[in-house]
Amino acid sequence: MKADTQKVILNLPATAEFVDVVRLNLYGIASKMGFSYEDIEDMKVAVSEACNNSVLYAYGQDGGHIDVIFEIGEDTLSIIVEDEGESFETVKEMADQTTLHDKELSDVQIGGLGFYLMQALMDDVRIENVAGQGTRVTMSKSLARSEERV
Amino acid sequence: MTTNKNEKFNAVTQMDEQSCTVFVSGEMDLSVAPDFRLVMEPLVGNAEQDLIVNMKDLKYIDSTGIGILLSILKARHGMNASFAVEEVPSNIQKLFEMTGIAKFFAPQENSH
Repeated sequence: MKADTQKVILNLPATAEFVDVVRLNLYGIASKMGFSYEDIEDMKVAVSEACNNSVLYAYGQDGGHIDVIFEIGEDTLSIIVEDEGESFETVKEMADQTTLHDKELSDVQIGGLGFYLMQALMDDVRIENVAGQGTRVTMSKSLARSEERV
Repeated sequence: MTTNKNEKFNAVTQMDEQSCTVFVSGEMDLSVAPDFRLVMEPLVGNAEQDLIVNMKDLKYIDSTGIGILLSILKARHGMNASFAVEEVPSNIQKLFEMTGIAKFFAPQENSH
């Protein structure tokens, strides 16, 4: 057994049209590792939300690039979504967002569900952002744990 | 006819006297959000008809798509008109329940 992780790195234009390319790669890697259909669906949503944030908030109108790094461990897949944009101030706002469960329709704010979905669908999510230097979202899911859970 | 790629988003509208059903297919994500909004915009204002989105062939939805559904719900609620989703795949229903949007959709009869 190899102890070290293997990496797959994607560098993509930070536009909405390329987020599906990230999903396709994720699908390939996660199914190779043996993740269940449901787990792969969960990860697809979480990773897309992280990419969406970079596309929407990181680069304004200029367009830039997103790095997506898949770290393939023995039974854990870590996915890092990184941009070098302005870094979104919305991170804090997003963290404050809750679900709609306790709300009336008239009180509901549109938006902000992406961050919640990332947290809820992955085992672990970390967001680091340095003003002016970009944002890095690191999320992971492990095989063993997801099997036990079901 | 050109062959459509499986995952490509598409929306087809069907109307009768009482209701308007929009059949969505493929992946509803950030890149097609403007398209979906464009399809729905002229339909949302018609309070006389029930508005339904059929999701039988929808493969994927992200928070942008859920956000659009939410804004339609708000608009319809404001004019006392119904908005429902039908034939929702289990992976998408799961997201509706997790985010809490599920409870806002009008209940659907099973008979069809």
